[in-house]
Amino acid sequence: MRDEILREIGRIVIPFIQVFGIYVIFNGHLSPGGGFSGGTILGVSLILRNFIEDHGKEGIRIWEKTVKCFMCFSLMLYGILKGYSFISGGGELGFLEIPLGTPGRIISGGMLLPLNIAVGIIVCFTIYTFYALFDKGEI
Amino acid sequence: MKEILSVTLTIVLIVILLTALCEGPEFGNIDNPTNNYVSHRYVEQGVLDTGAVNIVTGIILDYRAFDTFGESTVLFAAVVSVMIVLNKSKEQV
Repeated sequence: MRDEILREIGRIVIPFIQVFGIYVIFNGHLSPGGGFSGGTILGVSLILRNFIEDHGKEGIRIWEKTVKCFMCFSLMLYGILKGYSFISGGGELGFLEIPLGTPGRIISGGMLLPLNIAVGIIVCFTIYTFYALFDKGEI
Repeated sequence: MKEILSVTLTIVLIVILLTALCEGPEFGNIDNPTNNYVSHRYVEQGVLDTGAVNIVTGIILDYRAFDTFGESTVLFAAVVSVMIVLNKSKEQV
């Protein structure tokens, strides 16, 4: 599995896959895509990286802490942002309104870009964590 | 005895659900409850309401954002429960 050709090709291909995944997440409100599909692409790139570079069982200890930090942060970010948008939705309570911007630009759509990023982080770590846990014989 | 009871219970539930399904509106009828103003509103006013050119993202992250929050919570709960329940090592996560 971990031979020379796969390693060299993977080193060339993986950055392009990750840039494409980030592009899909950041253009989620402009073109087909979004947090779920972009997060899946990012998670697949991490799985391919795990194919070509073996980190052993020590890596998974560090990985569990990272996963918990990032997923809790993303979920709370989503809840806080969308909860604020739910509370201030009517616009009659004096809350600060989030401007929608010009449709078609990257920075537009109010909360959509941060929400897409949060969903992308959650999906990416979910896919890679299930692969890593079952692959290392941890379970 | 237990198998017979569970099979009977399943058949009764299937009959009840299919009977309820027969009472539903006819497929493709123009007066169905699904053909209301909501879909027209999404298509016509979606860009003005959400600011998103992609209408799918506008719906799942703005109109139906609470549903997506539930989906993210399901993924999070799946990962955390797999880590906790199926952990083989001595030290606790």
